[in-house]
Amino acid sequence: MAPLLSLESATKQFGGLIANREVSLTIEPGEIVGLIGPNGAGKTTLFNCITGYMHPDAGRILFGGTDVTHTRPERICRLGVARTWQVVRAFGRMTALDNVVCGALQRTNRMSEARARAGALLEFTGLGGKTDLPAATLTLADKKRLEIARALATRPKLLLLDEAMSGLTPLETTAAVQLVRRIHAELKVTICVVEHVMEVVMPLSHRVVVLDYGVKIADGPPEGVVRDEQVIRAYLGERRAAR
Amino acid sequence: MSRIALVIGAIAAIVYPIPLQLQGYTYYQTVGFLVLLNAMLGIGWNVVGGWAGQFDFGPQVFFAVGAYTAALLFVKLGVGAWLGLVAAVVVAFLICAVLTYPLTRLRGHYFAIATVAIWMIAQPIGATWEFIGGSQGLFIPVKPRGGVVASALSLQFSGPTKALGYYYASLVLFAITLALMALVERSKLGYYFRAIRDDQEAAEGIGIDSRLYKVLARSITAAVFAAGGVLYAFWALSVFPEQALELNWSTLPIMATVVGGIGRLWGPVLGAIILIPIAQIMSTTLGTGPLAGRGVDLIVYGLIIVLIAAFRPTGLLSLPWARWFRLRRSATA
Repeated sequence: MAPLLSLESATKQFGGLIANREVSLTIEPGEIVGLIGPNGAGKTTLFNCITGYMHPDAGRILFGGTDVTHTRPERICRLGVARTWQVVRAFGRMTALDNVVCGALQRTNRMSEARARAGALLEFTGLGGKTDLPAATLTLADKKRLEIARALATRPKLLLLDEAMSGLTPLETTAAVQLVRRIHAELKVTICVVEHVMEVVMPLSHRVVVLDYGVKIADGPPEGVVRDEQVIRAYLGERRAAR
Repeated sequence: MSRIALVIGAIAAIVYPIPLQLQGYTYYQTVGFLVLLNAMLGIGWNVVGGWAGQFDFGPQVFFAVGAYTAALLFVKLGVGAWLGLVAAVVVAFLICAVLTYPLTRLRGHYFAIATVAIWMIAQPIGATWEFIGGSQGLFIPVKPRGGVVASALSLQFSGPTKALGYYYASLVLFAITLALMALVERSKLGYYFRAIRDDQEAAEGIGIDSRLYKVLARSITAAVFAAGGVLYAFWALSVFPEQALELNWSTLPIMATVVGGIGRLWGPVLGAIILIPIAQIMSTTLGTGPLAGRGVDLIVYGLIIVLIAAFRPTGLLSLPWARWFRLRRSATA
């Protein structure tokens, strides 16, 4: 089967800093891929390039066979890529329901249909009782769920979650992991998660890609990646790796 | 807004000028005309400023575009006012779309500055373009027609019923604007405008073309201003640059919107009902007599606006009106 997303040696540079250096990776339909790496490894930059907020200086990005290297974010969304944000970006002055309605209007022009779909997705993400609250008044965990619901409302084929679990309590994290599993299983959405917390990514992902200083240093099943020399060095330092 | 308040408001607006007509106080009919005109412009500005969250300080350009379009059609081709109004709305919408598209890369203060810059560019064009009469402008001749129906159809009222006629004309245009913008608010457009206001990046991420919708928001505002400009031109029987491009055509509607409640459909209506009569009353009381000519009326007027802005920045509509009304009703019962 053709890959859903493929990056062909994508490079993104900010002045002298190379945030992504010739990163090549593919995501197959139906996968859950974990994208990990230390702070500043270039994970969010890679997300921004895939979703059109930034454009690579070199290399190509293909989604479903279409070249989206220089495509704007709204077009990429319409092709079937949705994302959430490391720092939450809910529409604060709108209600939770209206936030998701905005997403649903991407696939329908009928308000009643958009509202019904938004209501169902809020139910699905566990925000069923909070539909009429202004988004700004929700807790961080709920805002993150709201972002997921809003992204799902656009009917994505690929969902990119940028640290959807960071800043959450252990209990909230467990619930969020469950939600990601349900999105994958019940809505058949391919998922790529950026995450700091190894304990979250490893059991969740079918495959893990590791970035360090903008370079891809590992790509494979979680149990292989945790034993990889280079990964241990990047995460734990030179001395431990030597032992 | 509750249904009862809406019905009471509508009846009050329809009945308001009748006793004034019987008593011969046509001045207060003109005050009513200005309230409705500014309320209508405020509702228009609310689209770009309140919903889409883009600070447009140059909508008066399209007030002038509308006034000139209809006046030119009337003077040069003999096209009637209502047909001219439709043309003016379309022309203003299109010109605004073309002018605004390049501005959509700008954000916040820079967008606001650019809208002011367009207004500054419009002034010398208006003053020197011979085709539209230069600084002299255009005069709209009154073509006398018998009967109420003929006057209404030509939007030309004169004589003792002039103020009454324009009051009802402004009421009709106000009601149409209000109804259309109520539809916009509940439609995909309204949702997308507010999404861009709250977070442009997130809006783009769910497939909203922020540039397109910013252009649409400002062009809808421009269309409303153009309709207002046509009404004003036929009331004033003339269009000239200093009048049509006057700064008040943006500051009054914007102040009405902010004082009444920005981002709320009825905000500009409440704001205009409060601000415009205050300005008129101030100028007829403090503006005459021993204090005349010293601008005391404007100083007091300004102070009132500052006080409302300072103590209720979200607008008077955000006050707990419903609770107060319920309390009073239970107290009287």
